[in-house]
Amino acid sequence: MTTQQFLTSAWTWNTAVLIAVASALVTYVWAFGINQRIVYLLTGVGVFILTLLSPLNALAAGYLFSAHMLQHILLLLIVPALLLMSLPRWVSLGSRSWFVANPFIGWISGVGAMWLWHARPLCNAAVSSQLVNAAQVSSLLLLGTIFWRQILAPRDEQRLSPPGAVLYLFSACVACSILGILITFSPVSVCPIYAQPSADRLGILNLIQSDWGTTPDKDQQIGGLLMWVPMCLVYLAAIIAQLARWFAHSVPGAPAMNKPL
Amino acid sequence: MNGNTTISATVARLLTPAERQHWKLAWLSTVDHKRIGILYMLTGLVFFVIAGIEALLIRLQLMVPNNTLLGPDTYNWMFTMHGTTMIFLVAMPVLFGIMNYILPLQIGARDMAFPRLNALGVWLVPFGGILLHFSFLAGGPPAVGWFAYTPLSETPYSSQLGVDYWAISLLVLGIGSVSAGINFIVTVLTQRAPGMTLRRLPLFSWMVFCNAFLVILTLPILNAALVMLLIDRLLSGRFFLPFGGGSAIMWQHIFWAFGHPEVYIVAIPAFAILSEVIPVFSRKSIFGHEFVAASTVIIVFLSLLVWAHHMFTVGLGRAVDLFFVAASVLIAVPTGVKLFNWSATMVGGRVRFTTPMLFCVAALLQFLIGGLTGVSHAVAPLDWQTKNSYYLVAHFHNIFVGLIVFAILGGIYYWFPKMSGRMMSERIGKWTFWLMVIGFNLTFMIQHVLGLAGMPRRTFTYPDLPGWTWMNMVSTIGAFFMAAASILFVWDLVASLFRGKPAGDNPWNAWTLEWATTSPPPHENFDALPPIRSRRPLWDYMNPDRPDPVVPAGGPLDTFRPEKNAAGVITFIISEAGFFGVLILAYLFYNATPKSGPGAQVLDVLKTSIFSICLFVSSFTIWRSEVALRGNNQGKMKVWLAATIVLGAIFIVGQGLEYWTLFQSGVTVGLNLFATTFFTLTGFHGLHVCFGLLALLVVFGIALAGAFKNGHLPALGPVGLYWHFVDVVWVFVFSIVYLWPLFR
Repeated sequence: MTTQQFLTSAWTWNTAVLIAVASALVTYVWAFGINQRIVYLLTGVGVFILTLLSPLNALAAGYLFSAHMLQHILLLLIVPALLLMSLPRWVSLGSRSWFVANPFIGWISGVGAMWLWHARPLCNAAVSSQLVNAAQVSSLLLLGTIFWRQILAPRDEQRLSPPGAVLYLFSACVACSILGILITFSPVSVCPIYAQPSADRLGILNLIQSDWGTTPDKDQQIGGLLMWVPMCLVYLAAIIAQLARWFAHSVPGAPAMNKPL
Repeated sequence: MNGNTTISATVARLLTPAERQHWKLAWLSTVDHKRIGILYMLTGLVFFVIAGIEALLIRLQLMVPNNTLLGPDTYNWMFTMHGTTMIFLVAMPVLFGIMNYILPLQIGARDMAFPRLNALGVWLVPFGGILLHFSFLAGGPPAVGWFAYTPLSETPYSSQLGVDYWAISLLVLGIGSVSAGINFIVTVLTQRAPGMTLRRLPLFSWMVFCNAFLVILTLPILNAALVMLLIDRLLSGRFFLPFGGGSAIMWQHIFWAFGHPEVYIVAIPAFAILSEVIPVFSRKSIFGHEFVAASTVIIVFLSLLVWAHHMFTVGLGRAVDLFFVAASVLIAVPTGVKLFNWSATMVGGRVRFTTPMLFCVAALLQFLIGGLTGVSHAVAPLDWQTKNSYYLVAHFHNIFVGLIVFAILGGIYYWFPKMSGRMMSERIGKWTFWLMVIGFNLTFMIQHVLGLAGMPRRTFTYPDLPGWTWMNMVSTIGAFFMAAASILFVWDLVASLFRGKPAGDNPWNAWTLEWATTSPPPHENFDALPPIRSRRPLWDYMNPDRPDPVVPAGGPLDTFRPEKNAAGVITFIISEAGFFGVLILAYLFYNATPKSGPGAQVLDVLKTSIFSICLFVSSFTIWRSEVALRGNNQGKMKVWLAATIVLGAIFIVGQGLEYWTLFQSGVTVGLNLFATTFFTLTGFHGLHVCFGLLALLVVFGIALAGAFKNGHLPALGPVGLYWHFVDVVWVFVFSIVYLWPLFR
């Protein structure tokens, strides 16, 4: 099989995913109508579909740990963030519940989702069992939403204040980096199911290992690096947005200040 | 005015009349941030002379090919001591000195948050410096480069005591730097004048604040690396020795996880000086304050993420290289933002090229060059070609001298009038400037070419290849220009101190609060402060008809002002978490696969579980003690406190018993990697428990003496926080060392 054949043929059909997408779109339009922010929702849904139905999913299902990691990042960090950004600014996200409102819980959700699903038995089970895999996907979306709520809640008063948000994101990045560093340099396999693919269902093992040169060692390294570097850049992007928020309302009359005195 | 009266007038400014009786102690025992700042800078100046002489010796040796002035060993000593001294004993102390002097003044504070801790920090610098230089008398200084790569720095290859002195001295300096970092953070958070919200901080203070986080996050990483190296050297540990199963690359990772941010630890204060000086001498407020401030945060963040670009030549694999090429190149964006903002500040301004401004403009240009060659090093294939050549030497001297030293000189010319009450000489200043800039560029610009021509760094001599000889000669001549500039500068400092023109409160017509008091400021800094509504309170005060727009308070954290002691302990805990983080990661890395010899199975999990429960329960008892204190029930408070101490002591005794059993069965630190990592991790935790117990005993003593009334015992809360932290660390250590092996 060539790369091109693989990329065209490895798309999967998943009714549950499509039902979820359809119901999300219907619910959104029913609740908020069609407004500008639906672009975020459509992007989020697009990323969601690409994550779970594209060849990425085929690779993550037993072939490449790094593909799994990319899925993990997209589902935990990108999709929930886009969903939250799609909500109109007046929507209140249940701040009555201390559980959802507590920044500590939010932080633990985001970081814990990373650490927990990379415990060896869970990581293996998420590949070998459909059920665990479904649980993983839904938990990532849910925990990601709880994590991002502190930063991206539609109402400003339900968000963390910018300096607090910077510390929140920074410490989350550190916590995930540590796991990324561990995975990158770990001399043992984090998720052994990827190290010895049991059944080459799609017949692409040769393509991956010879043509792409992705040996299991290198694969795990790339997975760790994805968590270490690009994932932190996602947090960095959020930090930049927080800094913009922090300094935003302080510049009225600024042009006058920049004239020579 | 004749000589004697000038001198006595100067002495009058250095000492208050009451202090002249005990003048020897007035400066030695000072806790005044201004004097401590000056002590920092003077210490830095002394070591600058020493490291400068070392640099001149290096250049003299390299002046001609096949030179025999310095032998290979002496040459290795010289470049190691030059690098280590310039970074840890010159750049950091001098910048800490400037920050120490200016930060409290600029935020309208009376002093730093912890004046005594501040004094500890400054005195650790000469202590560390003397330790480092004592190695000259103890068999020879280190000869391993400033980053002391293992295994070269291990006992089999460096059997003299030089590396031990190097490591212990850096440990001392690292502890001092962390204490200073904690002090800067807590000072900004708790000592700001009324109205000085976080968003109204002038750029200098904001950058010092951001930088302090980098200090407390990364110096502990170095400290962890140093204790691991010392355990290898002094207790025959096995961390970094390949033939003992250790990993020499591990040292490089830990060192550069500190080493790369370290560049920014000294560069951000330089940025801070530039951001202060350039607007004042352009007569404009800085262009895009928000962008300069925000890009600082981004630089702090990114600097922690990219250390592996120092290791492209190690062979980490193409995957690792690619990720770090991408992340490293990104740093050019926030630094570029800064360069554009400084340039844009000058555009359309009424630029006055005084000596401070000249130095800062030169720093900006040299930083542009150093930054661009830096980006070229971020590209792995180019890095493979130029790493360890003089191209690299030229690059980082553009940063360390071109940016940082020039900014420091600019900063000193700028603030000297405030510190001494006298102006420095503009005439000598311009001479210093031109000698320095010409000398610097003669020395280092040509080294780019030398490096590309293949001349390796850290080699004591070179053959007479075409072009190499004259280029090295030019470089050496340049170095002596810089030496001349330095002598002129010191002369100017001394002469101006005694004979400079009186400066007045605000000689540069600057806008921040340090200029709102007398020069030098009185001991208590300010009699009265102007109202603070923007980032340039003094401008608003002097120009009531056209003040800066008010910077509104932005949310609760903008006016955040935590309790001082709690903030100090929490900041300390953050830095300690970094230290333990490295030790835990090392433990995980080295014990991921079973090693030959004893492993975790020799540990008595049951016994340790019982002792651990004692430790965990002590977290509960100290919490009860605090509750009792709040309820003003002193008897209960003392009982719970005593219980905490007893439980902590039981834990330590239990650890001691476990160590004893292990020693009896022949498991010692040097036995294998498991033993090395186990004793290091649990040993340092035990050490922290002991410190915690000492602190608790002190608090208990105060409580017993009844030295507090009305439920006021401010030490208990912070000590309790620290105690909880020690327990939380044990949760991690216990789970990883004792429980994890049971589930594998």
